[in-house]
Amino acid sequence: MEEATGERRGEPGLTLGREAAAERRGRRRWQAGAALGALAVVAAVPLLSTGYLLQLATDTLTAIILAYGWNLISGFTGYLSFGQVSFYGLGAYSTALLVLHAHLPWYFAVLASGVVGAAAALLLGPFMLRLRGILFALGMLGLARILGVVFNSWGFAGASLGLSLPAELMPVRIYVATCLLALLAFACNAFFVHSGFGLDAVSLNEDEEAAAALGVPATRVKVIAFVLSAILPAMAGGLVAWNRSYMDPSSAFNSSLDLQIVVFVLFGGIGTLWGPFLGTLTLMLAGEQFGVAFPDLQLALYGVVVISTVLAFPGGLVGLANRFGWLMRPIVLAPKTLPAVVPPARPARQGAAPVLEVRDLTVRFGGLTALDGVSLSLRRGEMLGIIGANGAGKTTLFNAITGFVRPTSGEILYFGEPISRVPIFRRAQRGIARSFQIPRLLPSLTVWENVVLASRHGRQSHRAAEHAAWVLQTIGLAPMWRDPASRLTPGYQRQLEFARVLALDPELVLLDEVMAGMTREEQEAVRGVIRCLPEYGVAAVACVEHVIAAVSDLCDRMVVLDFGRKIAEGAPAAVLTDPVVVRAYLGEPL
Amino acid sequence: MRRRRARRAGTARREGASEVGTLALQLLVNGILLGGLYVLVAQSLNLIFGVMGVVNLAHGSIIALAGLFTYWFSMRTGLSPLLVLPLALAGGAAAGAAGQRLLIEPVMQAGAKAGLLSLIVTFGLSYVLIELALQVFGSDFVSVPYLQSSWKLGALAFGKALVVAGAFAAVMSALLYWWLNRTYSGKALLAASQSPTGALSCGIDVARVRLIAFGIGVGLAAAAGVLVIVIMPVAPQTASDLTLLAFVIIALGGLGDYLGVAAAALLLGIAQSVAGYYLGGNAEYVLPYVLLLVVMLAGPGRFRRLG
Repeated sequence: MEEATGERRGEPGLTLGREAAAERRGRRRWQAGAALGALAVVAAVPLLSTGYLLQLATDTLTAIILAYGWNLISGFTGYLSFGQVSFYGLGAYSTALLVLHAHLPWYFAVLASGVVGAAAALLLGPFMLRLRGILFALGMLGLARILGVVFNSWGFAGASLGLSLPAELMPVRIYVATCLLALLAFACNAFFVHSGFGLDAVSLNEDEEAAAALGVPATRVKVIAFVLSAILPAMAGGLVAWNRSYMDPSSAFNSSLDLQIVVFVLFGGIGTLWGPFLGTLTLMLAGEQFGVAFPDLQLALYGVVVISTVLAFPGGLVGLANRFGWLMRPIVLAPKTLPAVVPPARPARQGAAPVLEVRDLTVRFGGLTALDGVSLSLRRGEMLGIIGANGAGKTTLFNAITGFVRPTSGEILYFGEPISRVPIFRRAQRGIARSFQIPRLLPSLTVWENVVLASRHGRQSHRAAEHAAWVLQTIGLAPMWRDPASRLTPGYQRQLEFARVLALDPELVLLDEVMAGMTREEQEAVRGVIRCLPEYGVAAVACVEHVIAAVSDLCDRMVVLDFGRKIAEGAPAAVLTDPVVVRAYLGEPL
Repeated sequence: MRRRRARRAGTARREGASEVGTLALQLLVNGILLGGLYVLVAQSLNLIFGVMGVVNLAHGSIIALAGLFTYWFSMRTGLSPLLVLPLALAGGAAAGAAGQRLLIEPVMQAGAKAGLLSLIVTFGLSYVLIELALQVFGSDFVSVPYLQSSWKLGALAFGKALVVAGAFAAVMSALLYWWLNRTYSGKALLAASQSPTGALSCGIDVARVRLIAFGIGVGLAAAAGVLVIVIMPVAPQTASDLTLLAFVIIALGGLGDYLGVAAAALLLGIAQSVAGYYLGGNAEYVLPYVLLLVVMLAGPGRFRRLG
């Protein structure tokens, strides 16, 4: 992932300044110029060209479409797929069959192929995307193999001989259609780079669970990304089938096509807007020359290119350009300057139900009972401290409340409604916010994006930006709002973790050892924010803390856990002197 | 390409079995022998995956390359293909160690992204090797005609080649298991696979362990190639099928679980032998992929307990 714009200039302040605004205008102008130039080249090809050049241009554009399609799911969303060729093949066959048997005009057939690709991805997505990393990559590869065998033996689709189509007499029409599809592919990628939705997708790439805790509907986002990244190759496959007037299983479901696409995108820069375009263009033209000279070694060349790219310049061409400050990624939803502080105004909830009620909660991991029949409740305006030795079940309790672990038995009520079956992201959207013991920031994103990711859900973008700005100024992270989160010192990282909690505009806040490892001054700053939480609309706070002195005066009540059981509850002073608690902490007297 | 793929030797031997019971037993025997070979095919990948968290996607191309070399060698000299075995082990280990140092180790420094980056590197490497094999050995499916007859035991027929290859493979896998669990260097390797940091703090040179693991893994893969070519026809294009086959077995048996993987290999051998007989070559070919999806979606752990 390339670094964001602001970091490079190392701006200390909140504003971009006149100079930077001028630079931004300059960049716009440059981009417009580049787009016009590209358009001129694109238009010139059919006017000037021989058949060979037109075919090369069409092939290159097709590869660009495939590269952009792959970039959506594997680049931005981070689900590396070695089987997007499945959709390409499905699209190719759909177009061929529709033209032959339904007698559709080819352009309708290609559109219908897009629908087929979308439908297939929609069906497969929820299952396949449960897999991660290598499992997803190879699962998709396996899928392509299965489809290859199916079409190889399916008589209606011509089995292994494939299907022949009538020849297109005006290849320019296919070229134009391919251009349009390439534009669509580019637009999809631009949407991922600039929009909040794209930010959600990238957050999944970084840390899916942490993103869910910030309200990102992970499954929906990745299925949408998967569907988009299936539509593009499906339609491209349809165009190729029509263009070649022929399609057979071994070229439709050819895994080496996926290799090429992976190579193109990596070489250009994975997860970037311009990477797939630049990489494909460079390698297609170079590969064409190389292919003429050494017709049998093209795949080997791609193999060598991909290896050397990963080893020598992992960011690809765009990564190289970034070093000179070119082609930088924009910061998503970032205003030019942080807007003035607007404190949130949310009407308090009506009703008398307690904020949180945990009834007889038991969590078992195999033979280990982490929580054993714990009950507790949090009234409005209350702050609850949860203490206990290591392994007492404190973090498990938080995990159960936020949805990270499924309770074995028992009930969790939030404002009187049972939430045990509500997914993590929805609990976050409904106002349950947590911090993690070890901050789980999204390191390649900026401070701003980390916060706006959380403030975005359930808000319009401009409200989200206002809220994010308020949070950053309240927490004191405003000076470094454009820095990548990975560059923050550990103390600031903890503050950012806290900022994201506030950004959710929560009603219930669960703080998991926010003060561990902080200096006295840092602790004091955090204590100040915790004291203010009720002003920000937080109805109740629960905190797990080892630094008991740092929270005992803030808490209204304390609960003590020991080996998964609640052993004491009450006012801090009483609990801390309770002999049962003392024994749990210090052991039996000799 | 798939059309040219000849039926596996094990399942082609149908004519001897007349009764249903004998047939079932025969399929079982063939499956187990095939499975014995699969153990080695999978175990070498498991070693690398277990220790380094790297799925070596070039695994299948190493097997194919070694197999095709064996074919070339035994056609040229007329000698037994088994003579290539020590050469393959040594050559594979040396090549693997060199490849690890040059290609994989630099990527291992990339932290959280190391797994996916190494996946991409070995993906690229697999194509380089496949193209190399295509240039040197051509694209035909070949198999070494070796011990074509079979031993009869009652109504059962044991293909000699299958027995020899299966036995060799099983012995090598057993040696690997013994080494990992009974020797200091093997245990160091297991330790490094479970916690690199922990192993490092116990004075184990983890980078060196990775080098050794990759070397041994590739050496064993090359040895597996020598045995595979005796049993079934191989071409450069089969490479990725072999990689996936090995991966399916690992997913079935459980990553880093050497006994589980051995059981899964036998199971897959039997399943393929049965599916090949009753449902035909296409089913036999596609079975591992279907299993791959089923296993992964149902969760490897859950499936292992079934097997």
